[in-house]
Order: sequence, then C-alpha cells, then structure tokens
Amino acid sequence: MKKSLFIAAIAAALLMSGCSQKEPEVDMTQQEGAGQQATSADTGLDTIQGSTESSDLMGEDARMAKIRQIETSAKKIYFDFDKYNIRPDQEPRVDEDAKLFASEDAKDLTIKIEGNCDEWGTDEYNYALGLKRAKTVRDALSVKGIDESRMVMVSYGESNPVCTEHRKECWAQNRRVEFKLLP
Amino acid sequence: MRIVLFMILGVFLYASDATLEIVKSADNRPMVAIQDASEFGTEMTRQKFFRLVMGDLKVTAHFKVDDTYRRSGYNSLIDPMLKTNNYLLRYRFREGDQQQLFMDVKAYEFPSATPFFERSYRVSNRARYPFLIHQAVIDFNDFLKMPSVGWMKRYVVFAEYIKARHADIVIADYTLTYRKKIVSGGLNIFPKWADRAQKGIYYTKLGRRPVLYYYNIYTGEQRKVATSDGMLVCSDVSRDGRKLLLTMAPNGQPDVYQYHIGSGMKERLTFYSGIDVSAQYINGEKRIVFVSDRLGYPNVFASRIGSRGVQQMVFHGRNNNACSAHGKYIVYSSRETDNAFSSNTFNLYLISTESDYIRRLTASGINQFPKFSEDGESVMYIKHYASQSALGIIRLNYNEGYLFPLKGKRIQSIDW
Repeated sequence: MKKSLFIAAIAAALLMSGCSQKEPEVDMTQQEGAGQQATSADTGLDTIQGSTESSDLMGEDARMAKIRQIETSAKKIYFDFDKYNIRPDQEPRVDEDAKLFASEDAKDLTIKIEGNCDEWGTDEYNYALGLKRAKTVRDALSVKGIDESRMVMVSYGESNPVCTEHRKECWAQNRRVEFKLLP
Repeated sequence: MRIVLFMILGVFLYASDATLEIVKSADNRPMVAIQDASEFGTEMTRQKFFRLVMGDLKVTAHFKVDDTYRRSGYNSLIDPMLKTNNYLLRYRFREGDQQQLFMDVKAYEFPSATPFFERSYRVSNRARYPFLIHQAVIDFNDFLKMPSVGWMKRYVVFAEYIKARHADIVIADYTLTYRKKIVSGGLNIFPKWADRAQKGIYYTKLGRRPVLYYYNIYTGEQRKVATSDGMLVCSDVSRDGRKLLLTMAPNGQPDVYQYHIGSGMKERLTFYSGIDVSAQYINGEKRIVFVSDRLGYPNVFASRIGSRGVQQMVFHGRNNNACSAHGKYIVYSSRETDNAFSSNTFNLYLISTESDYIRRLTASGINQFPKFSEDGESVMYIKHYASQSALGIIRLNYNEGYLFPLKGKRIQSIDW
C-alpha cells in the first residue's frame, strides 16, 4: 500500500512538472491585482509595546507637516497703500511672529520673507516696494531677537495676489508680507 | 519787424522740441482710401486684416485714412467716387501652399488713377500676417518719401502673468497681434532687449534668488549674467550693448548699479536708503534718470554717473513711478489720484532734460508702461479700461494717438 502510494505520488509529481512546462509564463503583474490576498509584513509589530512608531521616512513627513503647521500659524503683516512702514495695528502681529519663529519647533528653520503688493503699481517700483516691505519685517524681527542669518527676502511684486478681484478688500489683502519656512 | 524776427526764431528754436504740443490748424495730409480684393479668409478674417492695414496707415500719421471697408477685384476698374482721395491702396491676401500667405499691394494716384506702386509679400506661416501688413505700409510710406516708419517691423518683448507667481516672456509685433512665447516655466519677468538688432534679451527669473539671464532669441543660447539677493532687474542697456543698468538689492536695499559685461564689474550709482529703481541712460550715457522715493513718494530723478549729486526732474504729481528715457526726453506715468480704495487715474507726461516744459500725453484712464520707440519719435503704453486693455501708440511729432485692443493676460513689463 505504502509502495503504491509512493509510486502514485512520483507519477503525480512527474505529471504536474510535465504540465507546468506547457503552461504559459506567469504574468506577475496580474498576481498583484486587487483580487489577490496581500501577505502581512507586520511580523508581530502590532503587538510590540512602546511609544509612537517612527522611521526616517515618516520623520521627514511629520517634520514637513509640522513646518507647514507653523507656517500657517504665522501672522501675515499688512501694509498701507504705497507704504512699507509697519502700521501700529500690525506690531502685535510681528511680536507674535517673532515668538513663533523663536519657539523650540521653529528655531532651526530658515525664514523666507515674501513681500507682495497690490495691482496699482507698475514695473520695477512695485517689486522694490514689496522688497522694502519684506526688509522692514526682517529688521523688526531682527530687533526682536531673530537671527538675521536665518532670514531670506524675496519680492513677488504684484505677481502673487491672494485675491484677484478688483475691489478694495482685495487690494488691502494683497499688500502684505507672508512667511515660508524652509528646513 | 523785431516781433516777426522773434516769432521766426521762436519757431526754429522750438521746432524740434517734442515737449511742445503741436496744434494743427489745417489737416493737409494726403487722403487714402483702402480696397480689399482678398481671396482668402472669412468675413471676420478680412475685417481683421483691414483693421490692421487701416491702423498701420493711421499710425504713420502721414495720411488721412478713410475708415470705410470696400471690396473690389484686384484688377477691377476704379470707382470714380474714390477720386476725391489722393491715393487708393488696394490689397489682396492669397493662400499659398501649406501655411504660406501672400499679400499683393497696389497703389493708385488720383486724379489720373494710374497705379504707381505694386508689391508682393509672403510669409511661411499665416500667424505672421501682421508683418506682411507692416512691411507693405512701410514700403508704401517710403515710396512716397515720407519720414520712415521702419520701427513698425521691430519686435516688442513683454512678460505676461499666467497665474500667481508664473509669468512667460513673449515676442510680438508692435500691435501685439502676433505673439510667440520664448521663455516659460516659473516667474520670468522684466525682459529687456540686449542689443539694437534685437538678437537677444536680458530677463530675470525669480526663484529662490533672482537670476539675470541673457537669452539669444535665434539660437536659444542662454547664460547666467548675475545674481543678487532680493531683487535683480536689467532696466537699460547701453547703445553698444556693453554696459547694463541694473537694480540690485543686496541686503534688501534696492539701488542702481552699472554692470560692465566684459569685466563683470559692478559699480554702485545710487546711495539712498529707500527705493532707487528703473534707471535709464540719458544725455549720451553720461547721466541716468531713475525712480526714487527719496521725497517720500515715487518720483523721477537724474544723476551724473560717478557723482552722488541727485537732481529732481519732475515737479508735478504725487506718484510718478515709471519712466522711459530717450536722449534728452523722459516720458513718465503719473498717478493723478490717491485712492487706496477705488480705481486710480494714471496719465503719461513728456519732459525734456533741457527745458521746463511738461507735455501731457494722455487725458484719462489708467495709462501705464510708457516705452519710447527706438527712434524716440513714438511712445508705446498700455491703457486699461474697466474690462479691457489696449495698446496705445503716441506719435510725438504729430500729436496723434492710436489704440489697439488687447486681449488676454496682464502685462508685467514691456520693452520696445
């Protein structure tokens, strides 16, 4: 009985190996289809006790998310028509920004100060006005303890409006300095 | 007798001063009628062609042009009604192989009704039709020995905003009808012709830091010229193309510099702690004019290269923030109103460095981006209405202005 089973097994193996040679090559991409059962690679990680998981990849994403979060909480500084001095009502906002940029999460980041203008100027003067707005804010932040070497300035003139309708509220929103934080 | 002598002297003295307005008492320019004998295009296309032929003839300022659109056969007999004119300009557009387009032009003289001028022109791409028309009008004008309008076939280069922080650089004919994009991707601004032959341009690419590039429009060769913190703009090029006037802002402080192409040497020309921008050569490139806010508002100033002394050039207006210079003439845009919260009026004015006269060139609306033509006889500008813009040409010596409707995007900066 045992012998006959052994022979049957060999015969079946030979038969199958013979069959497999005749089969067309397997298309690997089809095996990755949605219908296939994915094999778990968690290898018990789910059950390991400890703190929040991290790796270099996730760390980078989390860091960028954190940077974007700080960037969003930075206050934009608004300016009067044709002016580049900081208005008294904007000074508390500059103070808040200085505190934010000096905070533990932000203290190693480079601060890109972007000056912007409304649509009423033309040509070079508007770009220069945007730059002077950026410079006034940089100088104010510097006085409040932010290291100048951490700050870079750029002017987008009238090219970067947050509001494109031709109304007064729009123009006022566009005359602004805003911040981008760079790792 | 003495009074007559003074008057004659006065006429001669001021005859060449473009800041003096010419008031014509009688219009004795030759009258021209136009006939279209085109075999090409729809009614709309033909109207488009006609408007440009008529526009070009008017912009010469040498003719009184009849606005009526008339059809005719190219070799048909002449309608006797037209003989009240001095000339008849008959043209025909013809299709060629592939994208070719031909324009035949014939001019008749009255009262004899004899043809005295006949030419044929062709372009290999139909989109270039404005250049057919400009060439035909230049030749017709030259044939009649009128002062040259050769500037009509020169290119205009401008930057236009595509979306926030994106601008392309485009080359166009002087009416901005024909356009060809030459630089795109990112914020490309302040294009400036690098040489009188219009072979290359300088422009600024604003990335993390602004970079000034030279770009050859024929070979596509591009090279980095300079970089600066905050701001970098080429605002003028010397006649020999070897020196540039740049606005640079090391440490966030915009000032004017002279850049020597050969040696790469940069020489600071302005020293004010506010804004100094838009410098242009005047008076044989010994002096510059520039826009500065040193009086608390933007205005036009001049200084001698190598000297720190500054002279105020304009004593009118509270916001003169853009100017263009040619020889001794300066044209500037002045904001006449000071509304932070509603529409403002900008007008163009012409002054001479050698006299105190101011000539107002526009009367109403928003008139910006003034630029002299290469011969200094015309000024190009952009006029904005509520929902549309137009390109304006002012013929200074003729006291005539023309507007071409402008479709499309917002212009950032323009050079002629």
